[in-house]
Amino acid sequence: MRKFHAVDRLFRSNDLIATNLDDETVLMNIEAGSYYGLEGSARAIWERLETPISFAELVAAMMKEYRVAVADCTSELQKFLGEMEREGLLRVE
Amino acid sequence: MAAQEEHSGVTGGSVTGGDMKDLRMTRMAHNTYRAYGMNIRSNRACPELTPTAAGAEEPDVTIRWTNGAANRLDPLDGGRFMVQPGRFRLDVAGVARYSVEDGRRIEIDPLPESQAEKIRLFLMGSAIGALLYQRGLFPLHGSAVETRWGAMIFVGFQGAGKSTLAGEFYRRGYRLLSDDVCAIDKSPLGPRVLPALPQLRLCADAYERMGKPAGARFDVDKFVVPLGERYCSEPRRLTAVHVLTEHAEEAPRMERIRGLERVRSLLENLYRLQYLRGQRTYRDLMRMAAMIAEKSTVARVSRKKDTRSAGDLVNFLEASWAEEFPELSGEEHCDA
Repeated sequence: MRKFHAVDRLFRSNDLIATNLDDETVLMNIEAGSYYGLEGSARAIWERLETPISFAELVAAMMKEYRVAVADCTSELQKFLGEMEREGLLRVE
Repeated sequence: MAAQEEHSGVTGGSVTGGDMKDLRMTRMAHNTYRAYGMNIRSNRACPELTPTAAGAEEPDVTIRWTNGAANRLDPLDGGRFMVQPGRFRLDVAGVARYSVEDGRRIEIDPLPESQAEKIRLFLMGSAIGALLYQRGLFPLHGSAVETRWGAMIFVGFQGAGKSTLAGEFYRRGYRLLSDDVCAIDKSPLGPRVLPALPQLRLCADAYERMGKPAGARFDVDKFVVPLGERYCSEPRRLTAVHVLTEHAEEAPRMERIRGLERVRSLLENLYRLQYLRGQRTYRDLMRMAAMIAEKSTVARVSRKKDTRSAGDLVNFLEASWAEEFPELSGEEHCDA
């Protein structure tokens, strides 16, 4: 599994349609023809990605908003961002 | 333009005109229609469509029936249909071959001894369905009715009761926009439903239940009731899409579908989605799904499946709509 480094820059994929429906952000991956619903903190992460952000900055931003230990926050983000990248929702440089 | 085909080789006068091999006359009748917001011209009559006065302007869509051996479409190598960017081909054994191109041209190659009604059945269904995709519209499989609260669409699996419900609305004096394919386009104020065909196709028991409405004819497999005054020929702002389902309880229920499920419900109820794969307009379609989900309500309507209760369901829906939606004023119905 991919491991993100503190300096990795994270970008939203270009080829997505995003729309806010009720409490969900719905993402549609046009190439793959698949769609995703982001709720709760997943939605907050997506919002942080509006402008490119480094992995370390994202951890810090989420720590400000959620009461969570840094180790847990880091491992949750590793997992979730990895999944987003596999689904083509995220680009990493 | 079609006029190019209207020339006739018949000229009078000189005896130096050669051997007359050039003698030729092509007849081209112009039947002009309007459906799904498009001006359509056909070289054969299509009584299913709403006729319009032949205008000077170019039609949006031309339907050309080939005649005789010339210009035949080649049969497909295996497979009933084929989709390529900008092109759709369909072969129906014993009926006709169809080609739909660039959202502008439909060509029909009738097979020997096929019935015109049958040929038009696949024209109005599959061929026009593919055309709507090529034009970037969002065609939902369902019926649509004009109400005080805007256009209401009903989708659901086959046999869910879409046409029966449309028949009940018709009986109550509502005007229908469509009984089978609801083409949605995007206007500055949001999604609109484009008027489809001015007819209601009913299976035998729905037809009997409606008291055998006057003027109906039997066509291939259904009773066809011309809508006449009950046809809404103008686009109408879309207020809600209803997914019809069954439940065991006596009382019907309506609940809003939320979030991601809203997009899924729309995409799942597209009209013959297989005709889209390979078209260029998939991106537009996803965008449309997002726009429709954002700007209109998507609701699940559950009721006990009992075909005699279509009237109760209409009562229930009217009461729910009155509670949920504001009534629209004259202009708000059609933000053209």
